[in-house]
Formats: sequence, C-alpha cells, structure tokens
Amino acid sequence: MAEKGGKLLPKGTKSSLTSSHSSLGSSKRKENRPTKSKKGRKVQFDSSIGSTKSADKTESMFDKVNLGKGGKEDKTGNAAKKTPVKDPQPLELKIEQELPECAKCMMDAEALHILQGIQDQMVILSEDPSIKIPISFDRGLQYAKSTGNHYTDYQSVRSILEKLKKDGVNEGELCVIANACPETADEVFALVPSLKAKRSKLIEPLKGVLSELVKLKQSS
Amino acid sequence: MFFHITLERNMQLHPRHFGRNLRENLIAKLMKDVEGTCSGRHGFVVAITGIENVGKGLIRDGTGFVTFPVKYRCVVFRPFKGQILEAVVTMVNKMGFFAEAGPVQIFVSNHLIPDDMEFQSGDMPNYTTSDGSVKIQKDSEVRLKLIGTRVDATEIFCIGTIKDDFLGVINDPTTA
Repeated sequence: MAEKGGKLLPKGTKSSLTSSHSSLGSSKRKENRPTKSKKGRKVQFDSSIGSTKSADKTESMFDKVNLGKGGKEDKTGNAAKKTPVKDPQPLELKIEQELPECAKCMMDAEALHILQGIQDQMVILSEDPSIKIPISFDRGLQYAKSTGNHYTDYQSVRSILEKLKKDGVNEGELCVIANACPETADEVFALVPSLKAKRSKLIEPLKGVLSELVKLKQSS
Repeated sequence: MFFHITLERNMQLHPRHFGRNLRENLIAKLMKDVEGTCSGRHGFVVAITGIENVGKGLIRDGTGFVTFPVKYRCVVFRPFKGQILEAVVTMVNKMGFFAEAGPVQIFVSNHLIPDDMEFQSGDMPNYTTSDGSVKIQKDSEVRLKLIGTRVDATEIFCIGTIKDDFLGVINDPTTA
C-alpha cells in the first residue's frame, strides 16, 4: 500500500504521507472511505495538518490522478482538502537582493538634480548632429520633475530621513518614503509593508520625521 | 526608482579613432552604445554621469580592434515589485488603464481597480466611483503599486494595482 503510494510520489514525501495518514485515520474515515487508497488511486489528506511544500506537491499530483474518476467522492474529497484561504502576504520591496551592492538608491529629487545638470551639458552636445539624446533620458527627466519637486531642498530631506536608519530602515525604504510624501505614519506602514514588523519601534521616530518633512514641503 | 550605479563594459574601438582624442572617442562611443538601453538587471540607463576608470586596451587577434574595459557611473531607472510610484494615465479602456512613469509602461487591470469604480465609455473613457467623486481618465495622476515586471529588449513593462490603501488618484486633470 505504502509502496504503491510511494511509487507515485517523488522522493522525500513519504514522511509527510505517513504522518498525514495517521492523522487522517480519525478525521477522514467517517466522511470518505479510503479503501481505494489501497489501490493507490485516491489518497486524500488534509494539507492543513502540518502542511509542507512536499505535501502540496503531492496534493496537486493526486488532483491530476483523480481527474475523471467519479464526481461525488472527488467533490467531497476536494471540499475536505481545501485549505483555509490565507490572506496573501503584502508584496514587499526587496531591492538589496536584486541589485549589486554598489548601487545607491536615489530619491527622485536627487535624480532630478543630477539629470538637470546633465541636461545643461546636453545643450552643448546637441549642437553635434551625430549625438542623439535618448528618449529614456527625456522621459526620466520629465518623471523626476513631476515627482521630485515635492520638497524645497532634497539635501535636508535626506538628512532628516537618515535619522531613521539607526532604527533599521534601509536605503530603499527611505527612498520610497521620500518619493511618496506620506502625511501620516499609517500611510508609511501601508506603503512600505516591510516596516510593519518594526512598527512599535518606528512609530514615534517616524512621526517626528514626518512632522519635520511637512515644513520642507513645497507649496504647490 | 532611480539608482546611481557603477557598471563595467568592454568597448571595442577601431584604430581610426586612435590618437589624441582616443579617450573622448571612447566615451562618446560608450554614451552612444549604452544610454537609452535597458536590461532586466539594471533597468533603463537614463544617463551616464562619469567615467571611473578606463583600463588598458587589448588588441584583438586578427582584426586590429582594441578592447578597453571601461568602468562608468550612471543613473538607472529600474522598477521593482512592491514599489509605490506615481504615474500618469495614458489610455483607459474596459480592461483597465495604461500609465507611464518615466520610461516605464504600466498596466492596471480592471480586476486591480477598486470594485466601486466602474468603466464609463465615451469621448473620454474613464473609471468613476458610483458617487462621481473620483475619476481616473487620461492625464490623471495615480499612485500605484507594482506587482509584476517584464523586460523586453528595449523596454520594461509592469503590472500595477490601485486596490490597496493609500493608492489611487492624486490629481484629476479636470479639477486642476
């Protein structure tokens, strides 16, 4: 029995099968008759009990095996199989993992300052017909102008936000806060979910930083 | 998001460019080759800000071309999953709306638009709340969160959502 079940499964999943089988014994037998498990056709196990990745894989494999083999029992099996729907984890920003260490995250205001300097030089270069200014530069500059003009002085913004670094906020998160111009601490935690774990530690310093940033905001 | 990053590239130069202006020619060729390109790892190279180092040239066997390893600093724009950014709506249809943030195109599907907003067709197609208080149409500014990115040879395309807290319209062009 176990061997037959084992053949259908990839290696390393036997342990999950055996543990779930034993727990199934009490809960499942009333609902379903796992006599067919002996033949290796249908093995139902509740993946909510000690769910592991291997258990999920075996479950999907058995879903394929069960296809077209009787409707009713499948339905009840599936109803029993369904895991409680978990709230999807909020998508977190993971810059450090994807870019090389030498990459320095810039606020839109800092990027605007650099790109405007380059644009002044480009006026001289554009007299040369062989040099074409790329479209991405124009678009990048336009975008930086629209988003980087929230504050009067980006250097003061940087120095204010740097204070949060000692509370464990990394460079990427600081830049998201600077670019988004949040008004409340709740907004910061909603926009940067990775900071939620440190909420209790960060809330007071964050409120202080936001009140200082309000003074620097440009009147539109 | 903008980044300031150091990259390295091997530049091949034809012997006709050698001479007093070798370095200038090398830099001009670098700018021509690199500015405006995009890659999955670094995103769009928006502008080169400076040259850190030009290594010693190596003559290629058989061709006479010389390869110089060049280290340069540049501003890149790369979108990330989970990033919040502000974009300008460029097109609205019943499937969702397209927006632009810098050189990056973003699509927000109608499934990722709050349920209380409905598509209104017409001369100026838009998404409007039932009470008409909030409208998303062409040239609206919206704050969105990126949930996926795709890189082509020449551009980066993203999928976004406005269905979370503190996302949505910032600036309605009709009221501005």
